[in-house]
Amino acid sequence: MNKQTITSSKRLLALVLMIALLLAVGAAQVTAQEQTFFGKTAQELFPIPGVAADEQEQRLAFEALLRANLPDGREFGEGKTLTFGVLGQGSRGGISGTIYFWRNAFEAATGARLEIVEIPYNELGTTIPADFLTGQYTYDVFIGAAWQYGDWISNGWIQPIDRFFGDPRFPAWDINDVAPAFAALMQWEGQTYGTTNDGDAQLFYYRYDVLNDPEWQAAFEAEMGYPLPNPPTTWQQLLAVTSFFNGKDWNRDGDPDDGISLHLAPGGQGHFHYATLAASFAVTPAEGDDPRAVTKFDNVFWFDPETMEPLINQPGHVRALEFLKELAATGQRAQLGWQLGEAWDNFLGGNAIATFSWGDVGSLSQDVNRSRIKGNLGASAILCSEEWYDRELGQFVTDSENPNCVGNTTGGSWHPTMSAFTDTPELAYYMMAMLANPSINFYNATTGWQGIDPSSAYQLYPPRGTASPEDYAAVGFDLGDMERYINAYGANVFDKPTYLTYLRIPGTLEYIQETLDIRLSEAMTDQLTPQEALDATARDWNRITDELGREEQLAIYQAAIGFNP
Amino acid sequence: MKVKAKYFFLMPGVIWVLLFTLFPLIYSLYLSTTNFRLGRDPQFVGLANYARILNLDGGGGDEKAASTAGFSVILVIGSTTLTIVFGTAVAWVFNHDLPLLRQMRAVLTMPLFAAPVAVGFLGVIIFNEANGPVNNILQGLGLGRVNWITDPLAARAAVLLTDVWQWTPFVFIIVLAAMQAIPDDLYESARLDTKNNISLFRYITLPLIAPAMGTVVLLRLVETIKILDIPVTLTRGGPGSVTQTYNFYIYETGLRGSFQLGTASALSWLVVIVAIIISSLYFWRVRARFE
Repeated sequence: MNKQTITSSKRLLALVLMIALLLAVGAAQVTAQEQTFFGKTAQELFPIPGVAADEQEQRLAFEALLRANLPDGREFGEGKTLTFGVLGQGSRGGISGTIYFWRNAFEAATGARLEIVEIPYNELGTTIPADFLTGQYTYDVFIGAAWQYGDWISNGWIQPIDRFFGDPRFPAWDINDVAPAFAALMQWEGQTYGTTNDGDAQLFYYRYDVLNDPEWQAAFEAEMGYPLPNPPTTWQQLLAVTSFFNGKDWNRDGDPDDGISLHLAPGGQGHFHYATLAASFAVTPAEGDDPRAVTKFDNVFWFDPETMEPLINQPGHVRALEFLKELAATGQRAQLGWQLGEAWDNFLGGNAIATFSWGDVGSLSQDVNRSRIKGNLGASAILCSEEWYDRELGQFVTDSENPNCVGNTTGGSWHPTMSAFTDTPELAYYMMAMLANPSINFYNATTGWQGIDPSSAYQLYPPRGTASPEDYAAVGFDLGDMERYINAYGANVFDKPTYLTYLRIPGTLEYIQETLDIRLSEAMTDQLTPQEALDATARDWNRITDELGREEQLAIYQAAIGFNP
Repeated sequence: MKVKAKYFFLMPGVIWVLLFTLFPLIYSLYLSTTNFRLGRDPQFVGLANYARILNLDGGGGDEKAASTAGFSVILVIGSTTLTIVFGTAVAWVFNHDLPLLRQMRAVLTMPLFAAPVAVGFLGVIIFNEANGPVNNILQGLGLGRVNWITDPLAARAAVLLTDVWQWTPFVFIIVLAAMQAIPDDLYESARLDTKNNISLFRYITLPLIAPAMGTVVLLRLVETIKILDIPVTLTRGGPGSVTQTYNFYIYETGLRGSFQLGTASALSWLVVIVAIIISSLYFWRVRARFE
């Protein structure tokens, strides 16, 4: 064959390939247009406006729904009504928005009607308990926070769901996909009560572009006398970084900018910031093979596991609160009155160099309607402390080479649980499993506005999970941001030597939200010193424990944290 | 037959009062003598709840009851005084012939028709520390910014000012009506002796609007004792708990999380007693003056 013939053959082959490609794309489009889900089109299930915000959201949701391969639930759903109680933030707001979003699909697959009852955050501790205590039993399924398990289980309000696992009548999901730290929050004494939905853990976020800017690196070194920690790995390094950047116009908008962005208003979930930070100041890992083993002195944060005496005013806690005050001083004073959204928006708006918060920040940073930092997001696992208190030794330890690293699952990890009094358990489980289905759950966690954070292996990159950059590229995410964010999330959830024990005993809301949260605010606004505020918290906690029954509380606390006396 | 019919028509009202007024009142009195938490069996504790709230139990008392009651007293005195002063002053201005009076009057009364919850949320915007209009104005005047939400003293002032803003029109409407009911010939006669407006206000207007103002004072006192919505929405009781009112504390104790209905009932009964004392004093004074 001469050269000309070869060239002609190549051209012909390219032409054939191009035509084949065009035909394939055309066929796929026709198929997508023709595809329905239980007789409903994408437009009927996710109408614009009403459910989906735009065509891309509609298309991605419909594709996720088709991939979920949901079974026919009409056998037990036809003509019934499922009442779903959920943390309420509106039909396009965090957590509740998810239920509205998938309502049409659920109704199409089961023939049932889904009634959604929204419960405001500050009423969570009131509405659901009041409903059960007064014998109303309104909800078949409800999404609350994992810290409410102590109340729900000790009162017999929710039921285990293990009997439904593997049943082909329900949407597929596998609890083994869920990161162990989150799976533990859905279980109690060996039984599973919840299905995965949202995995809450606070990680560290920073401005990748600014910390990697040679000009700022040089300026930091000139001012501080040592290189810029990039990124910071300890709280002490973070304080140095935020102190340096606070008040400087590092985003070049003509105004001084912030070092840190936190939400510290009473009722604004600021106590989670405290718990995340204080863990590495007050918790020590166990010696021996299992650093996560709970002993009298190790891996305990809230109460002495032998006496139920509060540990909240121990020296490690007090130092942590003093440190939180120092850190908050490297941001706006107004953040002492900020709610969650205000702190996020300040960081997403490009006005703060760092924050530590839940996974929402990662996905919200990709929403250009809300974020100015897409492509510039830095993230890492939550920071360690160079200084911590060893209760067994009765003294502080300082070691900047081997800092104390304690991970966390702070937050609600908002997920559905089934009422023990529902008369439609199959239908209830169908809805719970549908939300936990990998395809649907993956989609939810990429929207940002739904407030659903990664919880499972299929959302993480190898070696911790099975997701690929293409999965995130398909939803329009910046791959550099995702590389940092997803790996940080995985490291945060899997790699820490030990984790902060999760408080989920009866009265958790009273211990945390009605006392600790208020006392923290009093300390942050200089009404009390950190020591006074935490001493007052300890007194409050002892009173609550006595009122609820010290022995009963102790037994539940030990079970909740896995302490064997 | 006539007698029976009378009872028949009275019955709904009697049942209503028994069911929805007397029964809750008596039941809450019983609850206040127990340690009842919703979901747990109540145990009789006598007057222990009252003793703890009033710090008579020798155990340090209820620190929060004292602090929230303190803020409520500040609000009651501050808000009542300021609304009376501002409302009367505005009414006095509007009692004159001025252009656009009717339109201005309609605008001025608008805050009164807003739900206190909405007013509280409006306050969140108005008193926003970073970008709120109040701070922008203060900044523009060179007075600097105030930490309306995060400074304990300023946060209390923000709650007070928001309540005053909402309720001044109420005082204004009633006092204006009272002023307009004063016959013109009284002023005309008085003007033969003096042209001084302050003297006219002090010796003619004030004595004649005093009964209406007395009613307004009573209503404002009772209304301010009950205040809950504005601190809940504006400051959420913070920073810490400095803007928690006594009623806010009752709500937190009885209806949020811990459901301590025994303690909450005792706290509520103390408010009832204070309200009864205030209104009794008022009616005693009114009777003494007019009988």
